[in-house]
This record gives sequence, C-alpha cells and structure tokens, in this order.
Amino acid sequence: MSIQQPPTPDRRRLAARELARAKREAMARRAARIRRWVAAGSLALFVAAFLVVYVQLASGHDPALVANAKHKAASGSGSGSGAASASASGKAKSTLSETASGESGSSGSSSSSESGTSTSTESESGSSSESKTSSSAESGTSSSNESESSSPSSVRTGQS
Amino acid sequence: MSTVSLLATAAGPHLFWLASRGAGIAALILASVSVCVGLLMGGRMRGRGTELRVAHEALSLATLAAIAVHGLTLLGDAFMHPSLADVAVPFVSSYQTFWTSAGIVAFWALALLGLSYYFRSRIGVQRWKRLHRLTALAWLLGLIHSLGEGTDAGQTWFLAMTAIVTVPALLLLAVRWARRAAPTPDGAQRARSAAPTPPRPATEQP
Repeated sequence: MSIQQPPTPDRRRLAARELARAKREAMARRAARIRRWVAAGSLALFVAAFLVVYVQLASGHDPALVANAKHKAASGSGSGSGAASASASGKAKSTLSETASGESGSSGSSSSSESGTSTSTESESGSSSESKTSSSAESGTSSSNESESSSPSSVRTGQS
Repeated sequence: MSTVSLLATAAGPHLFWLASRGAGIAALILASVSVCVGLLMGGRMRGRGTELRVAHEALSLATLAAIAVHGLTLLGDAFMHPSLADVAVPFVSSYQTFWTSAGIVAFWALALLGLSYYFRSRIGVQRWKRLHRLTALAWLLGLIHSLGEGTDAGQTWFLAMTAIVTVPALLLLAVRWARRAAPTPDGAQRARSAAPTPPRPATEQP
C-alpha cells in the first residue's frame, strides 16, 4: 500500500499549463465552428434571397417588371375611359410609375415624351408626384406605350 | 450544378440584377444581426463574451462581402450599365442619386469602421470604441437605402423580413442610448469611457 505524495510545484504548474492549453484549444474550436456556421448561413441566406426574387420574377409578380396581362388590362380599360385608368389598383399604379421612373433614369428623352402625351387623365388622377402623373398618363394614352413596354427588359425600373 | 445552369438560363438577362438584389437582402439581414450581436456584446446583456465577439466579427465580414457582391454584380447588369464609379463613388450615379449615394456612403462607413477593428491598438482602444459606435448610423443609412431604393421595398414579405431583423436591433440601440443618457444618482451624465474611474477612498474599501 503506497501513500500518494502531494504534487510538487513543478507538477502543479505543468497541469495548469495543460489545462490552459486545453481551454485555448476548445475556444479556438468553438470560434472556428461559429465562423463556419456564419459563412454557411450567409451563403444560404443569399441563395434563399436569390430564389425568392427569382420565383417572384418567374411568376410574374416582380415589382419592377410589368406583367403583360396586367398592363394589357390596364391599358385596355384606360382606352375605354379615363376614369377607369385613374382608379386602377395601387399596385398597378406603382408598378407603372416605377416603370416610368426607371425609364426616366435610363433615358430622359423617352420619359419626357411619355409625360408629354398626358391629357385629361393626368388631372383625374390628382396626384402631385411626377411618377404617378406619368403613370396615369401612360395607362390612359396611346397603344404605342403598350407596345413599348411589352418586353420585360424594356419595362424594368433598373432599381438595385 | 445543372440546377445552377438552369437558373442562369432561365434568369437570362436579369441574372446579375437578381444576384444583386439577393446579395442586398442578405447584406441587410446580416448587418442587422451583426448590430444586434454587437449591442448585446457591448452592453450589460453580455453572456458568452468570446463567442459573441467571434460571431460579431464573422457576421460583419460576411456583411461587407455581401455588400461588395451587391454592388459588383450590378456592373454586369445589361439594363443599367453602371460604371465602377457609379456603384463606388457617392453622388456620381445619375440614377436615384440620393438613395444610391446613401447606400454607397453606408458601405464605405461600414467598411472603414468595421475593418478599423484590426488596427484598434494603433488607433487607441477607447478612441476606436467611440468611433465604432458610428457603425450604428452607417447601418441605419443602409436601411434607409434599402427602403428608399430597393426594388422589393414595397413588398409585404420584404417589409416583414426587414421588421423582424431591424426591430430588435433598433430596440437594443434605443436601450443603449437610453442607458448612456440616463443621469447618474448625483445628476451627472454617464461618461464611462470619457473619464477614468476615480480610485475609491481608503475608508470605503473592505
């Protein structure tokens, strides 16, 4: 039967160093795991956001693109009566106004020519903002605008 | 891989634009979470300090990367055709100049204030901490940019998502500012970082 001797100061120091090293290593492992999680999460977030806007685009609900059906419906009712075009849904209005503002952003001349076509529809909408005015003008006027914005790339706002 | 190529083909001319929007949304979420973690770390609600610091650093770097992708992918967009100066220098782009510039200024502020962490010993820790508080303003500027210019800013899902990630950060920010502005019992404003703590009188020491 042997009696255990108390550890010497050197042994205690060594044990403390081992313990400190083990703690440091554990902390480094935890930090690396957190970094990996953040990197993977960021990538997943980007992919998810991309897919959301892609599905939105593919399903024709992209806010910056005018869906052909909606636009045709809006312009069809607009040619019938100015009041109908003025009372179009807010979403359609905002989409069209975005279109107008996007076009004015990309080429000022086309925007000015569009706003130049505005007639009584403009006063019916009663909007003070420039974009809304041009949107009501667009929806209430000629079919040349319709044909101009039938292709998605031509009606995009270009918003980032 | 085939899924990616399918998506790329289907997205067609809008691929860069969609990627930019995706990166912008990711950047907004990451920045908001990073601000939350930073406020939790620096405030009195601290839990696991080191883990929070690592998470805050990783989230900040991921945010900067996402913003860089957000800006650089726009360079490939065939519709807008922005130049490098348009997406990197404030008040150069003619398209929605105010909102675009707000985003660019926010990015540069986030980059400078965030990356200054690696030079804090040179800057001085207290001075760096004071500077780092401005990051919250840069984040707010980025939030304003996304709500003012973002294509999806009018969408319900975007507004709900933005509220989910920004409201906690705004609350934490309000708590922090309220604590800093709260008067101490003797009526003086808290200025913990401004003045060093005076030594206790010998009679008060245990």
